[in-house]
Amino acid sequence: MQVLHHRSFLCASLFTLSLGVYAGLYRAMNWDILYVPDKITTNEQSTVDVFASVVEPRITNTLIRKLNQVAPLENLRHVKRVRKILFEGKAQLSVILCRSLGQENQLDGIPDEVLELIKSYQLHPFFTKVAKYAASSKEEWEEQCKQWPTSYHPPTYNIDGINGFSEEDSQKVFHFMKVAIGLTKSGHLGNQVVNAAVIVDPATREVIANACDCTFTITNNSSLQNINWNDPAESIPSHHVDANEVPEDERHSTCTDNGQVRSYTNVSCLYPWSWTQQQPYSRNSLVKCGSTISWHPLRHAALVAIDCAAARDRRLFPSSEPSTCQSDHVDHLQSSTSSPAKRQKTELFREDETVSEASANGLPSEMMRPYLCTGFDIYLVWEPCTMCAMALVHQRIRRIFYAFPNPNAGALGSVHRLQGEKSLNHHYAVFRVLLPEEILDNVVSNCA
Amino acid sequence: MVDDFTLHVTHFSLLSDPSSSTVSPFQMSSSGDESPAHEYMKLALEQAKLALRNLEVPVGCVIVEDGKVIASGSNRTTETRNATRHAEMEAIDILLEQWQNSGFSQLEVAEKFSRCDLYVTCEPCIMCAAALSILGLLINPVAYNTFGCTPTTGIRAVYYGCANDKFGGCGSILSLHATTAEQFPSTKAFQEKGFKCTGGIMASEAISLLRSFYDQGNPNAPKPHRPVQIS
Repeated sequence: MQVLHHRSFLCASLFTLSLGVYAGLYRAMNWDILYVPDKITTNEQSTVDVFASVVEPRITNTLIRKLNQVAPLENLRHVKRVRKILFEGKAQLSVILCRSLGQENQLDGIPDEVLELIKSYQLHPFFTKVAKYAASSKEEWEEQCKQWPTSYHPPTYNIDGINGFSEEDSQKVFHFMKVAIGLTKSGHLGNQVVNAAVIVDPATREVIANACDCTFTITNNSSLQNINWNDPAESIPSHHVDANEVPEDERHSTCTDNGQVRSYTNVSCLYPWSWTQQQPYSRNSLVKCGSTISWHPLRHAALVAIDCAAARDRRLFPSSEPSTCQSDHVDHLQSSTSSPAKRQKTELFREDETVSEASANGLPSEMMRPYLCTGFDIYLVWEPCTMCAMALVHQRIRRIFYAFPNPNAGALGSVHRLQGEKSLNHHYAVFRVLLPEEILDNVVSNCA
Repeated sequence: MVDDFTLHVTHFSLLSDPSSSTVSPFQMSSSGDESPAHEYMKLALEQAKLALRNLEVPVGCVIVEDGKVIASGSNRTTETRNATRHAEMEAIDILLEQWQNSGFSQLEVAEKFSRCDLYVTCEPCIMCAAALSILGLLINPVAYNTFGCTPTTGIRAVYYGCANDKFGGCGSILSLHATTAEQFPSTKAFQEKGFKCTGGIMASEAISLLRSFYDQGNPNAPKPHRPVQIS
């Protein structure tokens, strides 16, 4: 079915260009995992010039209090105001007075208030350099402290993988990325590549949810694979995948045809604004064939996966709290589009799940219920856009793995770097899975 | 929209940071003659109260087309266990379903969205602001220039109550409604011509709702002594 080929050509060429660069860089590469840090670190140590002075220990506290009022160290919160060194066997304290305008031995830039303090405490300012940015690693911090002490706050989270992956863990990551890549060609559009997402509980290797982009779906009414975006769990059941099982066709992918011009215009996160262009060439003919079209500009793979995970949560842990009972009722009332038959089917499904869960593991207790997706990982083939990346913050995902960067709208390093937004109330670790280009060729050629 | 439990009321401010790209705060009418914006915001606050009654973080919104409220939404993150079900997303989904059922094409729907105003009691979060941008409610200049989106007529506005200092997407943390304008200076004129994002409308009402939620304690927050996640 040749649908949706006439979409934004401009963006297609833009992306092909960037993908070309990418492919050139990583052509002969094996699988690897790269940590995508919270901020871009520079190799060279940036410094800021400051004036400091040796001070008597007994006046230090008073002086610092006064200095913090008249000359707070803006944007240098990581720098310690006081340095303590051993000098001739005795502890000697030095205090940063203020920032310098960069001219050594010239006190011109010193504010009057600081000059007054210098005078009244009979200080002897000297010129020194301090680290401009907070250290992002212990090594960097140790290096900084040679100049002037700074404080170092290792990430408040201790997320596996930031300091590297064991061989076993790497294989797990590769496996689930392969699962995600496998979903990019099994989109509802059949012959189009879309983004895909797999949410995994790393502790049990259980696939919590999987999904692909549903911004535009064509469903055959006679098929059981009806996509209903009000209750995705109905159509996309999550299932357990053995991490040791590697799809055969992906282990031996050999297709290396690079002559083909690739376009990934159906990857929602790459072209979030192109949904208006999604027009099947004949809506009526599709309807006549018994197919229905549905579209939703925001049903990106990550959001659909979150929806699935939430549905699973409600199914496995039906709360006895009155709020949830009430919510089911509301759910029922609000799902005006769901036919009664469909609703009934869902409820049967739910009961089945609960019963089987109960018999296998005993009663699922509320204590076992995770809060949202706390502790879970998500595998995405393409770097998520801002909407998806923030949705994953909200849902408390622990780690994000993506294979291909998203130069158009990527929010985890390409355009924005959400993992580095300190103000957010949750932080995940982000990893890029580098993989041989053949994998992608394989997907594309299978879709052509 | 705001998050479930870690957020405190102190993170919301009456007005957004004046240095942000958000336009100057809406004029609070002190004389008692209330602007239409206040009337719509009152309806959004009603939605927020509805959320509060359902033990949800109290945020609500309404979408207005041609002076008429065509959709409303209130936060349902706790009920759905889906932390993305913010008020804005709820209202958007109602319209998408309704318009799609009426047979509108994607292009027509985009045009309809571009004629809408959104009134929300709390500054849209980064996710919602991005979603609004995707829909064309908040016009991202890059969308026009790079992706060749069809420009829609009559760019409309987002009005919000309190700013969200922690993860607001309309100026507080990211300015998604104008974020990449600097990279595309040619679009500046366009940006100035059109859309606006206005904060501070009945912000104190929005904040007092949030405060009453957090004061009573979020019953849905995870138990504090739960076992540490085994990694």
